Amino acid sequence: MVDVAQLFAIVVSGIGLGALYALVAMGFSLIYKVTGVLNFAQGEFALVGAYAVVIIGSGAFLGLPAPVAVAGAVAVGVVLGVVLERVVFRQFIGEPVLSVIIVTLALAGIFRGLVQFALGPNFRGYPAALRPEWSVPLPLGVDLSAAFAIGVALSLLLVVALMAFFRYTVVGSILRAASSDQQAAMVLGVSIERTIVIAWTLSIALTAIGGMLLAMSRGGAAFNIRTVGIIIFAAVVFGGLDSIPGAFLGALVVGVLQEVGTFYFEGGSAVVVPGLGVPANFGPGFGEILPLIFLLVVIVVKPYGLFGTERIERL
Amino acid sequence: MPCGEYFTSYESRMGLFRWRIQRVALVLGLPIPFLVPLFVGGGTVSLLSQMFIFAIAVLGLNVILGYAGEIVLAQGAFMAIGAYTTAQLLGTGIGLLPAVTVGGLLTAAVAVGFGLPSFRVKGFYIAITTLALQFIAQDWFFPNPQLAWLHGGSQQQFPFDAGLVGGFLPVEGEVAIYVVALVSLLVFALLSLNLSRTGIGRTFRAVHENDLAAAVLGVNVYRNKLLAFAVGGFMIGFSGGLYGYQLGFIDPEFFGLELTLEHYVMLLFGGLGRVWGAVLGVGIVTVLQDSLQGLLQAFQATALTPVLFGIVIIVVLAVEPKGVLAALGQLKEYLRNWPYAY
Repeated sequence: MVDVAQLFAIVVSGIGLGALYALVAMGFSLIYKVTGVLNFAQGEFALVGAYAVVIIGSGAFLGLPAPVAVAGAVAVGVVLGVVLERVVFRQFIGEPVLSVIIVTLALAGIFRGLVQFALGPNFRGYPAALRPEWSVPLPLGVDLSAAFAIGVALSLLLVVALMAFFRYTVVGSILRAASSDQQAAMVLGVSIERTIVIAWTLSIALTAIGGMLLAMSRGGAAFNIRTVGIIIFAAVVFGGLDSIPGAFLGALVVGVLQEVGTFYFEGGSAVVVPGLGVPANFGPGFGEILPLIFLLVVIVVKPYGLFGTERIERL
Repeated sequence: MPCGEYFTSYESRMGLFRWRIQRVALVLGLPIPFLVPLFVGGGTVSLLSQMFIFAIAVLGLNVILGYAGEIVLAQGAFMAIGAYTTAQLLGTGIGLLPAVTVGGLLTAAVAVGFGLPSFRVKGFYIAITTLALQFIAQDWFFPNPQLAWLHGGSQQQFPFDAGLVGGFLPVEGEVAIYVVALVSLLVFALLSLNLSRTGIGRTFRAVHENDLAAAVLGVNVYRNKLLAFAVGGFMIGFSGGLYGYQLGFIDPEFFGLELTLEHYVMLLFGGLGRVWGAVLGVGIVTVLQDSLQGLLQAFQATALTPVLFGIVIIVVLAVEPKGVLAALGQLKEYLRNWPYAY
């Protein structure tokens, strides 16, 4: 039978995981909102963030203190955003969106290959300072581990900050103007290059932080962090592709779904189907598949998600 | 080629072989690929067979991405479906060609199934659903031992002497596979060429360029998208079956996202929406990859292969989005007029 305390523990860790996904998902919808590009390289950008900490912070490489490593990872995200815009995305202003989407696929390949070449596919442990032992006690004897707690706090803070940024600041309004009509914004004196730099920088920095926290929650960086790039599609589609609060909510749902799937539909802990007496064991890896099945259902049933804007087309 | 282009009828303008020199070239050139295995070694023959098999898959991708303009990221999953179906059916002894065809049909059905959301959504949602399919197939469905009753086990051996149809004409050895792959490629290339110059292809292009305008003109956008998925999916699944048979052994690892990236490189390099461009792209990229592989292995840097692919994609899209064939066409046009400007 389903144990309530256990279910609560799973939901809590799912929300924690979802909060980490939320950072990556918000990075995705930020780019989609401003430039209309589906970024298939999110998982790889998260991977870069996770491994940047390894390179800067772990003793085998530079061995700098933990705060420097964290700051360094964020800085890597920012620099990557600026460099990619200068070198790559600037070439594609005015080209069809299809080209830019394929370019992100190519970037995914580039970063995957580079990380694998430089560090190999093995697990890399984080320095001790980045493997915090504390946890937040919750009712029913459930603990929220440190990385998840930081993730929840940080993503809540960032979703509010981003919404305020888009609503109340001048730069935010410029980004919104550029997203709603690029040419009209250009006529009004908005520099499209600058908006694209800002959008990519913010997005990649957010994603790098997300990747870093994901690695922290597992004690170190592993190559499979890049699957986050696929799982967040479930989150952003459910929330509505261009909605940042939607991405946040969707990510929480997806995190819970993944934990539930991992615990109740996989391996020895699988629930027994009532009436049949057979455990609902769908085999290894089903936890990460459940969000994708959810994604397919959402696309068929409610394609514009919770808060997404339905496109009105004109000839 | 005669100077200037004179066509007196639409048929002669749209013909596949428009000038006498092309017909002569066809008669003289067609036997060459069939004679090649007599002169080159086994390694080259199997490389060429792989090239032909990939060319079929890239032509399938070309139908979906080049003609209908939908991004499909499940190239690996589609080929895996074709390969595993073929493996299962070869066990029953119905022969290679029927097995591969059924594999293609099943892939087409799956492709159409994952294209169904295009009824309600526009834009690039199909890219997301097919990426989900790729992930499900590669990380859960095919490696899952519990589903062995369905796909027959994640790692499988192929028989090496299956008959072409039933037990007849055993396809055994490199040269036989080469001939089967070559003939299949020619058939599918002809099919793609005819698809692109007949009404269906024009409808696909109309949907690609502006789906709303096409709908206003009375084109059933949804049905045409699904048709493109079916045709492209069939070709990709067919090629997957042949690929598995050529390898003789299949593993979910062979059908990962890297394969999708590789086929995108081939198609974009050759030129999106051009049949001969796709074939040329497969040829060039396979040869480059084969020669680079040795170099990369010497430096223990095979992990860098996707990096090279990625850089090629970005450079091609930035410099000549229409592909190498269009660049050659421009060069030809320039040389034809040289030394005059026009």
